[in-house]
Amino acid sequence: MDINSASVIAAALAIGLAAIGPGIGQGNASGQAVAGIARQPEAEGKIRGTLLLTLAFMESLTIYGLVVALVLLFANPFT
Amino acid sequence: MFDFDATLPLMAVQFLLLTALLNLVFYKPLTKALDERDAYIRNNQATAKESLARAESLVKDYEAQIAAARKESQSILEKAQAAAREIVAQKIAEAQKEVQAQKEQAADEIQQQKATALSTLEQQVDSLSRQILEKILGPELVR
Amino acid sequence: MEILGSLTILNTFTLAELEVGEHFLWKIGNYTVHGQVFLVSWIVIGALLIASLAATRNIQTVPSGIQNFMEYVLEFIRDLTKNQLGEKEYRPWVPFIGTLFLFIFVSNWGGILVPWRLIELPSGELAAPTNDINTTVALALLTSLAYFYAGLRKKGLGYFKRYIEPTPILMPITVLEDFTKPLSLSFRLFGNILADELVVAVLVLLVPLFVPLPLMALGLFTSAIQALVFATLAGAYIHEALEGHGE
Repeated sequence: MDINSASVIAAALAIGLAAIGPGIGQGNASGQAVAGIARQPEAEGKIRGTLLLTLAFMESLTIYGLVVALVLLFANPFT
Repeated sequence: MFDFDATLPLMAVQFLLLTALLNLVFYKPLTKALDERDAYIRNNQATAKESLARAESLVKDYEAQIAAARKESQSILEKAQAAAREIVAQKIAEAQKEVQAQKEQAADEIQQQKATALSTLEQQVDSLSRQILEKILGPELVR
Repeated sequence: MEILGSLTILNTFTLAELEVGEHFLWKIGNYTVHGQVFLVSWIVIGALLIASLAATRNIQTVPSGIQNFMEYVLEFIRDLTKNQLGEKEYRPWVPFIGTLFLFIFVSNWGGILVPWRLIELPSGELAAPTNDINTTVALALLTSLAYFYAGLRKKGLGYFKRYIEPTPILMPITVLEDFTKPLSLSFRLFGNILADELVVAVLVLLVPLFVPLPLMALGLFTSAIQALVFATLAGAYIHEALEGHGE
């Protein structure tokens, strides 16, 4: 396997694997937030704000994977 | 993609300049405006609260006055009612007395008439019995 | 680059082109500078300055028009800063955190809303300044400097006690934290903005009309959130430096 095809596979793995954990985490957080809103509908605004912020944090984990993938595709240090 | 060069420090300097400029033309004047408005609103609120308190005390005064007037009117009403009741009672008593008097008078009259009637009756009985005796015994014997 | 080359050969629309890692280079003395980043950032800065000048030129007690809008913006920023730093400390930090938020927000939205591709450059293309790693690293390093400055200003050299405060064993972790903070800040912003532009670009490559629109709307949303996250995190780091670990 030459370095190019290895990089492409590595990039795909990087973004794909990095999406698993945040996906689970975001699902958990959203579920809990919905439960919280159902229990206390008057706190919806606050819950939604916090939820968006935490979702952005989890999302950034995938983005790190994406950055690694982009590095491998467009700025590969080994080719 | 990850090529660092003079863009980085220049961008940092530019950002700091932007911060300073915005501080001068955006944050400071608008913060001042906001604070001034806050103070103004707080002032107005204080005066409004004061006048509200004054109005409330006025309302309390007026309410007390109204209550006093109501009490007074109540007492006047009660007095008038008592007077009226008294008058009614007096009138009733008078009427009853009059009725009593008339009744007594009438009874007296009846008694008198009865007495006269009885006396005339007695006289008639006397004359009748005398006539009967005259008839039976003869007039000479009777005398 | 070879991978991309094969992609762009397939592409028949000249409007849709994937260009990653190409820059409009300027030379200043011995140094090279990414010109397209500076061009757009100057436009962003100009827009911010014009808006604030228009808002503050004639300040009235009862606001209207742009003054009202900018006051809303300022109150939003003040609330954000107050939430992170607390009532007592937040005032001196409003300009820094607010400018971070405004600059990133206007850059991100400007990158999406303005059709930069219609303006041709000799090489590279105009886009949001925040899709260049230099910009985001510059902002993140400034944030690091800001929280070091905040800690040193508040506690003097005692600020460095926080490295050995609970136990000196944890010192590598706390030192490492100082490096990961700017790293994660800059990569988060950079990755989000670049990923959004790449996704839109790839979709434009496949279906040039209408289909990318929902993704662009999603991009507006995420870039606004990223600006908020960057400003919030900067506030949180500064607050941490002001408070210290032990207290």
